[in-house]
Formats: sequence, C-alpha cells, structure tokens
Amino acid sequence: MTDDYSYDYEYLFKIVLIGDSGVGKSNLLSRFTRNEFNLESRSTIGVEFATRTVEIDGKRVKAQIWDTAGQERYRAITSAYYRGAVGALVVYDISKAESYESVSRWLKELKEHADANIVIELVGNKSDLDHLRAVPTDEAKNFAAENQLLFTEASALNAENVDLSFHQLLKSIYDMVSKHQFDMNDYSSQAPSKGPTVDLTPKQNEEKSSKGNNCC
Amino acid sequence: MSQIYLNLNSLQFGIKSNYKSIIIDPRSNLYNLTYPLSLINNSKLIINKTFNLNSIAQNEQINASLSRFNKFKKILLTSNSIIDLNNLKKLSWNGIPMEFRSISWQLLLNYLPSNNDRRASTLKRKRKEYLDSINQLFNNSNDGPIKDQTTWHQISIDVPRTNPHLKLYSYPIIQKSLERILYLWAVRHPASGYVQGINDLSTPFFQVFLSNYLNLDNNKNSLDNFDPSNVNQDILNAVEADTFWCLTKLLDSIQDNYIHAQPGIIRQVNELKDLIYRIDIELANHLEKEGIEFLQFSFRWMNCLLMRELSIDNIIRMWDTYLTEGINGFSEFHIYVCAAFLVKWSDELKQMEFQDIMIFLQNPPTTNWTEEDVGVLLSEAYVWQSLYKNASAHLKSHS
Ligand SMILES: Nc1nc2c(ncn2[C@@H]2O[C@H](COP(=O)(O)OP(=O)(O)O)[C@@H](O)[C@H]2O)c(=O)[nH]1
Ligand SMILES: [Mg+2]
Repeated sequence: MTDDYSYDYEYLFKIVLIGDSGVGKSNLLSRFTRNEFNLESRSTIGVEFATRTVEIDGKRVKAQIWDTAGQERYRAITSAYYRGAVGALVVYDISKAESYESVSRWLKELKEHADANIVIELVGNKSDLDHLRAVPTDEAKNFAAENQLLFTEASALNAENVDLSFHQLLKSIYDMVSKHQFDMNDYSSQAPSKGPTVDLTPKQNEEKSSKGNNCC
Repeated sequence: MSQIYLNLNSLQFGIKSNYKSIIIDPRSNLYNLTYPLSLINNSKLIINKTFNLNSIAQNEQINASLSRFNKFKKILLTSNSIIDLNNLKKLSWNGIPMEFRSISWQLLLNYLPSNNDRRASTLKRKRKEYLDSINQLFNNSNDGPIKDQTTWHQISIDVPRTNPHLKLYSYPIIQKSLERILYLWAVRHPASGYVQGINDLSTPFFQVFLSNYLNLDNNKNSLDNFDPSNVNQDILNAVEADTFWCLTKLLDSIQDNYIHAQPGIIRQVNELKDLIYRIDIELANHLEKEGIEFLQFSFRWMNCLLMRELSIDNIIRMWDTYLTEGINGFSEFHIYVCAAFLVKWSDELKQMEFQDIMIFLQNPPTTNWTEEDVGVLLSEAYVWQSLYKNASAHLKSHS
C-alpha cells in the first residue's frame, strides 16, 4: 500500500492529526501510512510522525503527518507543531458524544496556533461501531458545513474511507496551492532532495505572532 | 552440576508456598534461596550441552554470578540490625539478580526501612494507609465514586493500552489495580495530575513486586504464562500498595516532568542537546542540518524514561542502576543514558535525511537487546557523566 518513491515528490504538505485521546488518531495514521491497525496500540506521547506519498492530479504529493497526544497536559508541546501545517484532521469517535463535543475546542486550538489558511477536515472515526453510534452523521455533516470543514466518517479498523479522508484533505490543499492561495515557496517543495522546506521547528514562544497571522 | 538439573526440575509455576511470610517481611523470601535459580539462563545452556562444562568462560561466568548472588544474600540477610545501603548500592549498580530485586528496589527507594526492627511494622502501616485511601476514594459516595471524571476517563482508556504486548496487563484484575494506583496518585498530586506515560512507569514496579511471590524461572516469557485471576487477594493488595508508594517516590524525583508545560522535560531535552554537541559534534551538526529538533524525538525518551524504546526487561535492569543513583537517577543520569542511546546510532543517523531519522528514532532497533546491551549502555552513560557532569554548567546552550 505504501510506496517507495518517498523522495520523488513535487509537493510536501504538513498535516496535523488532533482530537481527544482514544478516538483513533494513531490508528488512522497507521492505516493510511502502513495499512496497519492495532486494537491495543499504546497511547501517543507528545508527537509522532509518519509520511506517505500519494498522487493527486498527476502530481506526487507527500503528506508529512504529525500525530499528537490528545491529553490536555501535552497541549503546550503539541500546539507548537501546528505551525506550518497546511492541513488538519480533527478526529472524534462516532460512539463517544464527548469526543464530538470537544471538536469546537480543537478548532479553537487551531485558530490560536495554526496558520489562518489551514484546511481542516472533520473525521468521525470508528464508523464500524454503528450499533453504538452516539453522534448522528447529519449533525456532524451540518456542523462541518457551517464551519467550512471537509467531512468524512471513517473506520481505521476496517479501513473504510481512511484513504478517502486523507486524499480529500490533500486534494483540497493541493487545489488551494495550485490556485496560489498559499505562497508556493512555503508549502511545497521543488527540491525534494534538500529535505523539507516547510518550517518544522516547534517554537515555544510563537503563540503571539501566529495569532497575528489570523487576520491576513 | 546435577544440583542445577534437580533445581530446574523442581521449579514449579505459581505462588510461593511461603507467600504469607513474604507479605509480612520480604526478607523471609531469602532464607531458603538456593543459588542456581538465578542462573537458569546459563544452566540451560549447560544442559543443552549435556552437562559438558568444558567451557572455561562459562564456568567463570557462573562463578562470578554465584559470587554476586552470595554478596547480595549476605548484605540483605545481615545479622546486624541495619542493612548496609551503601554496599547494596555499590553491588546493585551492575544489576540485581531477580531473587533480590523486589526487596532491593524497595530499600533503595527508602520505602522499606533498612532497620530490621521497623520493616514489618512500616510495611503493614503503609499498606493499610493505601487501602484506607482507596476505600475512601472509591466507596464513600453514593453518586458514583469518581469525582474527577476527566482524570478517570483518561486513566481508563490508557490502562488497557499499557504494555499491550504483555499478557499480564490484559487481565481485568491487574488493570483494576493499575487504575486505582494511578487515580489515587493523580488525586494526591493535583499540580500534575495523571499524565499519559505515568501508566508505563507503574509497571516495572508492579511486575517486579508481583514476581517476588511467584516461582518463576529466569525465562523472560515466564510471566506471560501466569494467570493472576485467582491469586490470593492479600498478595495483590500488598503488590498494589507497594507499587503505589514506590511509584510515588519515583515521581517525586521527576515532578517537573508532568506539571504544566512540562519544564522538567524541556530542561532535560536541552541538556541532552548540549551533551550531544560535546560528545558527537558531527551527529549534532547533521541533525541540525536536517532540521531535526531534539524535542521532536527525545520528548518521549524523557516522558516515559525510554520505556517505549526498550523492552520492560531491559528497563527493569536499567532501573537497578538508576535506583542506586539516588534521587537524581531518573532526572540526571537518565540524560546521559539518552545521550549514549542516541550516539549508539550515530553512524546510521548521519547517513539519513530528516524523515528517515524521525522514523528511525521513533522505533529504534532494540528488539533483540539483552541485559548485556543495557549494561554497555549504562557504562557508556557513566563515562559521559564522569566526563561532562560538571563541565555542562559552564558551557553555553546551543539552542
Ligand atoms: N472499533 C474501532 N476501534 C478503533 C478504531 N480506531 C481505533 N480504535 C481503537 O480505539 C483505541 C484508541 O485508538 P488510538 O489510535 O490509540 O487513539 P488515539 O489516542 O486517538 O491515537 C484503540 O483501542 C484502537 O484499537 C476504529 O476505527 N474502530
Ligand atoms: Mg494516539
């Protein structure tokens, strides 16, 4: 499923995965990047990293994905990674109402710490647990529409819609980039061998200035 | 050698028959100890070779091991009224035989008094105190025992994700124990509360203390065959309480790792970075050139004390040494261990680019690491510490 052309890419997009602890972020990531699912995966500590290169409109797009720990205590560390991200997956668990209720808090986090143009997708994970559903699809869909978020329900367990949700996000970012709504130099790399051009350095004291970015 | 063979055969799996006296005073575990138990690994080799002990090296290894065994026995079973902690520390630095580990850890942490007259009474009091607190916390309320739902929720989703590759932690009776330990600790330490990763840190204690009541051989997987569901409740209560108090002692020494903004971890990450600039400038420069931030890969090393990077058996061996370093083992010596750990992969890392480095360091190839590998790592760390410990204060940070 994963490919070996990881250095042969034209665009490099940094994506963050956020949402409450236990909603399945790490498994969505391992399903997308390695086609693996683990019923008993360990909790994510701080931030973990994976990549996958996919083809979008005939271009090779490398997604560099930062998976974060959901717990409040890690917020100071994890929010530093929002900087420079061009996309975010905000994940909740369709069988856990609290995790859906937290979504607005996560959106607020993004507003405070991420770039204003970041493309956001709402993902209702664990769609295989339909018999335990606590969040109606329509409700989440409407919420997403009102807030200009992309939306999917997916299941890391049975792989349903996992590729689709990542592709949908990457495509949307790609469309923005190719329409030059982003500064190309910031968000894509034409010189892959030199490594990422996106600034990946977490900056502890950047919070103030990134707030300022929201107005531009 | 026939003695070794007999001992192997007489090994029984399950609870030690004298468990009641071990609960009262763990020293009672030691009186009847015979040496070969600790050498099962070696003796297995010998038996495979049909008792052909012509290898001098093996012989020497067994002799050294026997001598260590007897030294531990002598220190711990001293007829003096006080166990000599300094000698115990010296001896433990190179690893503690499993038969002596539980009592040694508890002594090194100052949980168990070294004074023979106070041991039994202190243990009894501590365990009662724990049990009373648990009863108060979980039973004395009609509208559900849990006051802090957020904390409880986090603990209850993390406990099933704790050491998921080890069967022991899949049993509900063990999971319940860990939940109580973590929740009580969180309630008593509101400045940090429960932080993900603390669950990992409770397990070496739990496992070592539980093993003390079991007839296990030195085989790493033996605990995996153990079903705790029907274990005597007194044993589990004692293990749970001892784990709680020892975890508390450990966390007291690294409190800053888990309070708001985790300043202890930030400090340690910066110290690690400074160290690498001194120990291996080429590696440091390469990481910098590739845009790797130390925080990106070593945050977890500090937060979980390398428990995500090494097997629990390796970690237990590592803690033998950490515990002899006193209050600073887990906050200071650990940084030198992390430095030795990183430098170990220097040649590979210097060939890699950003993403490969990140992925490599998230999953370093330590699956086949033995106690000897850990021993080497600790010795390297010791060397770096003696070289750089006092120098670091004067040098400028590279951040
Ligand atoms: N039924 C079901 N369980 C899932 C799914 N995705 C994850 N899980 C389980 O939910 C728990 C938490 O998953 P994890 O990926 O660690 O969540 P994270 O904390 O958000 O990273 C684990 O036990 C997973 O096996 C899914 O799509 N369906
Ligand atoms: Mg996770």
